[in-house]
Amino acid sequence: MRTIPQQREGRLLLVPLVTFLLVFLSFPALVDIVYALSDVTFQTMRAPELVGLRNFGTVLADPEFWSACWFSLRFGGLTAFIECALGLALAIFLSPIVCRYGWTIAILMLPMMVAPSMVGLMYRLVLHEFAGPLPYYLTLWSGTSPAFLDAGHAFWTLVVVEVLQWTPFAFLLFHVAYISISSEIREAAAMDKAGAWRILWRIELPMMKATIAIALGIRFIDGFRVFDNVFTLTGAGAGGSTTSLSIYIYQSFFKGGQIGQAVAASALLFFTSLIVLYAGGMLKSYRERRRVAA
Amino acid sequence: MNRLHNLLYAGVAAVISFAALPGIASAEVTVLGWPGGSEETALRAAVESYNALPGTPAEDKVGLLFFNRDGFYDKLQADLAAGSDAFDINVIATYSIGRYAPFMEPVDLGADAEKVFGKPILETMQFEGKQYGVPTDLSLHFMYYRKDLIDALMADQGAKAKYAEISQKYLGKTLEPKAPDEWTWDDWAATALYFTKSVNPDSPVRYGTVLQMKNLLFNMMVFQSLPRAYGANWADESGKVTVDSPAYRAGLELYKKLYDAGATPKDSLSYEYPETNAAWVSGQVATALQWNAAASELMNPEKAPAVAEDTAIVAPPAGPEGRKDHIHGLGLGLNKNSKHKEGAVRFLKWLATEDAALTYAKAGGSPALAPSVVEKIAVDRPDLVKLGQFAGSYGYVMRGATSAKALSIYEVQAKEFTAYWAGQKSLDAALSAASQSMTDLLK
Repeated sequence: MRTIPQQREGRLLLVPLVTFLLVFLSFPALVDIVYALSDVTFQTMRAPELVGLRNFGTVLADPEFWSACWFSLRFGGLTAFIECALGLALAIFLSPIVCRYGWTIAILMLPMMVAPSMVGLMYRLVLHEFAGPLPYYLTLWSGTSPAFLDAGHAFWTLVVVEVLQWTPFAFLLFHVAYISISSEIREAAAMDKAGAWRILWRIELPMMKATIAIALGIRFIDGFRVFDNVFTLTGAGAGGSTTSLSIYIYQSFFKGGQIGQAVAASALLFFTSLIVLYAGGMLKSYRERRRVAA
Repeated sequence: MNRLHNLLYAGVAAVISFAALPGIASAEVTVLGWPGGSEETALRAAVESYNALPGTPAEDKVGLLFFNRDGFYDKLQADLAAGSDAFDINVIATYSIGRYAPFMEPVDLGADAEKVFGKPILETMQFEGKQYGVPTDLSLHFMYYRKDLIDALMADQGAKAKYAEISQKYLGKTLEPKAPDEWTWDDWAATALYFTKSVNPDSPVRYGTVLQMKNLLFNMMVFQSLPRAYGANWADESGKVTVDSPAYRAGLELYKKLYDAGATPKDSLSYEYPETNAAWVSGQVATALQWNAAASELMNPEKAPAVAEDTAIVAPPAGPEGRKDHIHGLGLGLNKNSKHKEGAVRFLKWLATEDAALTYAKAGGSPALAPSVVEKIAVDRPDLVKLGQFAGSYGYVMRGATSAKALSIYEVQAKEFTAYWAGQKSLDAALSAASQSMTDLLK
């Protein structure tokens, strides 16, 4: 039981945090709500004209918005899946080496240390037909080199670039989860004549389930909101073919000057994320309750 | 207790320091310049000269501020819209004056400015009849070509026959090689096809040209001179959008024909300024329509050892309406929220004088100067003579290209035209979408 002075002290200590949240989160959120409901340009930012839900309607009726959503969903889903699959494989198969030579982790982590926009610029050079090493050697060996960044291949090139940069992140999570599994469990399973594959499928992977779910979630969110490397590598792409949702919002805001629509699109993204996260939480609670009941 | 006092003193000192900072900054006029490249070097030299003038008061000395080129105009837009007074003078460009004009103030540069730059060049910095800036640099496009390759083609009868055969097959007309200064767009296309390995296996280079086809507004400026030579404009005199025209169709189809025939690198849909330069210096390209600013790199033996000696320039080829060269200027204008307007205007007026323009040009800038002025620097900067000559003879600005939505219009064209070139949309669909969006933007 806390005393009244303790409660007062607690409230007092919360004041800086609450003030910070009010100033730095509530005010921008409020401005965003006003702008999302207004007809506003750079010239009228201080005098927006309220237009109700018109911006939301315009965004929802815009085929480019849906095309950007589809790009982000595909990109986020694919990259998250491939990164986690590769990261898991590496964590398991390289585990003996990494455990023995800890410094190898530093080398494996290197791609993560580079800013995504720099990665985009780097690949612009690496993939350039006349300056890049990859097209050079491909032409040398096979007489030709594919167009890595044309409308047909740009999406897959971007996926590969993203996977190469962020697989180490998934690897790190899985490595920590993998080495956390007690060796006694593995020894006990081995004594019961369980083979390596059986131990992996029946013991290790189930024990890493939570980490796998978290890694998939984090990588999906990161892939879904991709901006920097795509923007520096292909921009919006030929005919807008590599326009992610973040690029769509950026272009509507700065290039198109349609501030209301851009903010409405970001608000839609925010509410959708909130619903998905809430639904995920509800599903988890439901399954937990069923498990306990069983 | 002593520690508390020390902390208190340190805090007060910090507050006073921060409060004094704007005061220190207010001792000079701050110019937000175009970062990197020859523009920054030239502006630094001009400012140094200005500050060294005996008549420049201490409170009017000029300081410079630069930030990154990436997203420069977006950051500038946000700063101006927020009412920033962190700079007194800022960069403007012909196609963005309308967007920034509400946050800027017109300036009177005096009668002599016209004698230095000439009327058409001063107009690149005007919006609704008012002068918003001093034109410091002019940008247009040169047709770069490999002199050695063209000379060899012109001297070889067998090559001429092959050239005629290729032009007939791809362009539907039998053409013969001409000197680059006499090229029509068809002649250029035929030359580009002739020097393409996939079209003509005997070509000494891999590609006949290198097209900048990335979905980027600046690439649309480069492309624009082709349809313009066929009579294209954004709108007619009544304001009706005229992008869905035979002239734009001719230009768009020619680019697509060259792209599909492999006359330009396969990745051209992701190419912009630096990629084009890289392709050129590799020595594997015969022609390129590129910004004038690239001349210092492409014709410099240290930077382009494989091709510099053989690189030559002419104005873009001709169409039925003659030769056209898209021009736009960079300049410096007055921020409406400036706290030092008097000093800022004083600097801008000086910048519009002959002495200042020559100082700027000598330091590597690219001002378009009146013939009587440019001749004083012709020995040091022969390219400026060509710049002024091309701008004066072939320069144009599309109707609506200085409006508040000009940048957005270039963006729309970039998106729709690249969709056509990439095969994602038909020509009709791309032009119809561009027309619809441009009509909305030019309302």
